[in-house]
Amino acid sequence: MAIGRPLNRVEAREKVTGAARYTADARLPGMVYAALVGSAVSAGRVRAIDTTRAEAAPGVLAVLTHLNRPQWHGTPDALRYQETRFPLADEHIHHHGQYLAMVVAGTREQAAHAADLVAVDYETRPAVPTLDAALPDAHQPVWRFEPEFPTLLAIGDPEAMLAAADVRIEREYRTPYYSHAPMEPHATLAHWAGGSLTVYTTSQHVHGDRPVIAGALGVPPDRVRVISSLVGGAFGNKTAVWGPTLLAAVAARQVGRPVQLVVTRKQVFTCHGHQPPILQRLRVGANRDGTLQAIVHHTVNGTPVLFDRPEGAISPTGTVYALRSVGVRVEVARMHMPTPATMRTPGDGPGMFAVGSALDELSYELGIDPVELRRRNHLAAHPLERKPWSGKQLLECYDEGARRFGWERRAPRPRMMRDGGDWVGFGMSSAQRLEHHGPARAVVEIRDDGTAEVRTSTQEIGTGNLTTLTQVAAGGTGIEPDRIGFRSGDTTLPESSPTYGSRTTGSTGTAVHLAALRARQVAARLAIADARSPLHGLPEERIGAAHGRLYDVDAPRRGETYRELLRRNGRRSIVEQGFHDLAGRDPRFSYATFGAHFTEVRIDDTLRRVRVTRHVGVFAVGRVLNPKTARNQAQGGIVYALGGALMEELTADPVTGRFIAPALTDYHVPVNADVGEIDVSFVEEPDYGAHPLGAKGLGEVVAVGVHASIANAVYHAIGIRVRDLPITPDKLVAGPR
Amino acid sequence: MSDGTKRRTVLAGGLSVGVGLAAAPARAEASTPKTDLLTLVVNGRRVRVDVDVRASLLDTLRDRLHLTGTKKGCDQGACGACTVLLDGRRVLSCLTLAVMHEGSEVTTVEGLADGDRLHPVQRAFADHDGFQCGFCTSGQIVSAVGLLAEHPDLTDAEIPELMSGNLCRCAAYGNIRAAIAAAARLSREGE
Ligand code: FES
Ligand code: FES
Repeated sequence: MAIGRPLNRVEAREKVTGAARYTADARLPGMVYAALVGSAVSAGRVRAIDTTRAEAAPGVLAVLTHLNRPQWHGTPDALRYQETRFPLADEHIHHHGQYLAMVVAGTREQAAHAADLVAVDYETRPAVPTLDAALPDAHQPVWRFEPEFPTLLAIGDPEAMLAAADVRIEREYRTPYYSHAPMEPHATLAHWAGGSLTVYTTSQHVHGDRPVIAGALGVPPDRVRVISSLVGGAFGNKTAVWGPTLLAAVAARQVGRPVQLVVTRKQVFTCHGHQPPILQRLRVGANRDGTLQAIVHHTVNGTPVLFDRPEGAISPTGTVYALRSVGVRVEVARMHMPTPATMRTPGDGPGMFAVGSALDELSYELGIDPVELRRRNHLAAHPLERKPWSGKQLLECYDEGARRFGWERRAPRPRMMRDGGDWVGFGMSSAQRLEHHGPARAVVEIRDDGTAEVRTSTQEIGTGNLTTLTQVAAGGTGIEPDRIGFRSGDTTLPESSPTYGSRTTGSTGTAVHLAALRARQVAARLAIADARSPLHGLPEERIGAAHGRLYDVDAPRRGETYRELLRRNGRRSIVEQGFHDLAGRDPRFSYATFGAHFTEVRIDDTLRRVRVTRHVGVFAVGRVLNPKTARNQAQGGIVYALGGALMEELTADPVTGRFIAPALTDYHVPVNADVGEIDVSFVEEPDYGAHPLGAKGLGEVVAVGVHASIANAVYHAIGIRVRDLPITPDKLVAGPR
Repeated sequence: MSDGTKRRTVLAGGLSVGVGLAAAPARAEASTPKTDLLTLVVNGRRVRVDVDVRASLLDTLRDRLHLTGTKKGCDQGACGACTVLLDGRRVLSCLTLAVMHEGSEVTTVEGLADGDRLHPVQRAFADHDGFQCGFCTSGQIVSAVGLLAEHPDLTDAEIPELMSGNLCRCAAYGNIRAAIAAAARLSREGE
């Protein structure tokens, strides 16, 4: 059985030899290079832009600005472009770094140099630099995802329930600007031939990008091909088309050569998405026995000046714990900041930091163990959908996590555990992520040489999906994984679900699964109908498939290989489609993935630096397709959130709002030495209600609750509650020594 | 009106003045780019290439020699994705100009395997799943090869600190450590 085996990644060899091709590695004959000029101010207008020196510089082929750019087609809104303004739309400046010009030249060095020669005369206006400065503007957002992602909701009468509760806490939590910071900067290579455009780009969703690119350029979508080979990490900031991709495409048309544009690391930080600062106010009421009565959760996040983009930090509030009443409200406040992008894990990441911290605070208030408090508020059904959860092994996750971690050794109060100069603390949190899904298509082809191929547009962004989907195809066809090829990341292929929102396993996985089963079924029927086949005349359900061979399940030695069957019948191959549609789920249930985190921190009493020395994560995500890649992804998600909890923060200048040091030297993502022992395991029970494979998403739930688990451990260690992330040493020096 | 506005206006003006006057000689020189004929020994092969004197070793490898295995994660010496061996030592190829290395020997990730046979460190990365997206992997592997050459007696406990110059945003760190530890054991036992 291929599914569930800890196989090496199918692209492992390419990745360890340097043969793996990422977008910036693509080369085309005659290719030229582009470089961008970003705004030095956060708000205002381009009074004048002088490109004469840039144009005169050696090798320069074109300089695009708002004054001479080709006409855009369509409107950002109609195309669902992620900003409300196309690049170089006009002279107005809405955020620092905003692209004001693009230079195209014969070499990379020439382009970079000429970009330096573009002189901009700014008219500067005062900027709204920080969330605090923006707060007076806080307002109910207007956006296109209401009511799918609601920003205002009430169940019961939370105010009355709060007033009547035995215990109330009221707290404010903050998260800073976070950057996705994938190692691969965004890149595009655009190439025109005979009125058709090919765009190689760093994308989590090629089929989603195509209509946007085609629409903005005024080209029919079927004349645009989008290719995203391997993606060097994304975490949400490659979910949609960014301006430079459109600019590369128009520039390539203008200069008549393929144009490559790779943004700089600074530009990744400034103009390709981030999570904006979020302020969360939480009021929680509970009775003495720990039963939650009410949560009122009010959030405000920064939004660009041009449009409302709420962060759904209220996402866990009403769905994670049993509650008699809930009130949530999301507001946004306009700041002069670049466009944010959905980031692992949207909503639940920051939301669970607040909810998971507040539960911990309540546990001390009530004198109830944090795990026990959560157990007492365990929720069997989705409170809004009013349906039981399918595959909720959260209680088992608590048990298993506590056991593996040694939770029983936890001292009941803070500042009770010391080891030499270190304070030691234990913390925990629950994790939950609703299981989103979307339509997906895939094709599986079984060939007369005994091999097979999977074709679907999915992108490999590091999740291991080429491997797990190969295993799914192997499971369906009975062909060994090393005999199965994969074509992906191309709009010429059937449309998979996007590689964000933990949708690949459930949605694309189902499509591959169904395609594989169908291909096998067609082969089985061919054998049954073929008088020369050893399987001739057998009932279909008696035919099994393994090792590239169809066989009689009652007499396994009776059978033949796909190769023999197809060759004898003169069939080159069998090609079948699989489709995951939204009606595929059992409608009687609600779906999510679950987990529990347990963290040990050690804090040096003098330096007050927090180290996560041990972390245990236990997850219930249905069936695990490949434990090797799954564990890796889970550890990665935990570390990703650990960075946000302890060290990551894009600092904005308090006057201009500009990011002070948009570089990896100052934006500290965790390094190898920051990461202690991370123990990941699964409570594995297939969830067949969710998907026919029984497997669900993994990449996001693993990062939910980590911030709270760490912050709770910090409090337990040292008695200082940090409610504004990241928990840097300066926030711990004030406390008692 | 406000100080801020004035300061910014001056700054903007200052910038163009700088371009036009103060920095003019340097700029003028740079805008008639010089090229140099450079000889390198890359992965054991002698290559001669005419390079822009401004080109980093990284861009030269990638753009001129078509060795795209070495990655550009930051171009600022902060991520390690561009690590290559230069005369046997680990260097960040984005931080050094190609023309500074006339006659040098460069080993990139493409030069580690022996034909179809993977280098033990490559094998270990594949088997221990020492990556996810793979974008940092060339740098991690070349770094690890350099590290093992410099520290034949590398202990497991030393790996995290000594590998902290190579960022992995996917955070495959645990597996990277396991891979390097396994390769280190292998090379010790092999001796
Ligand atoms: S690209 Fe050289 S260190 Fe990042
Ligand atoms: S594997 Fe993605 S950055 Fe290391």
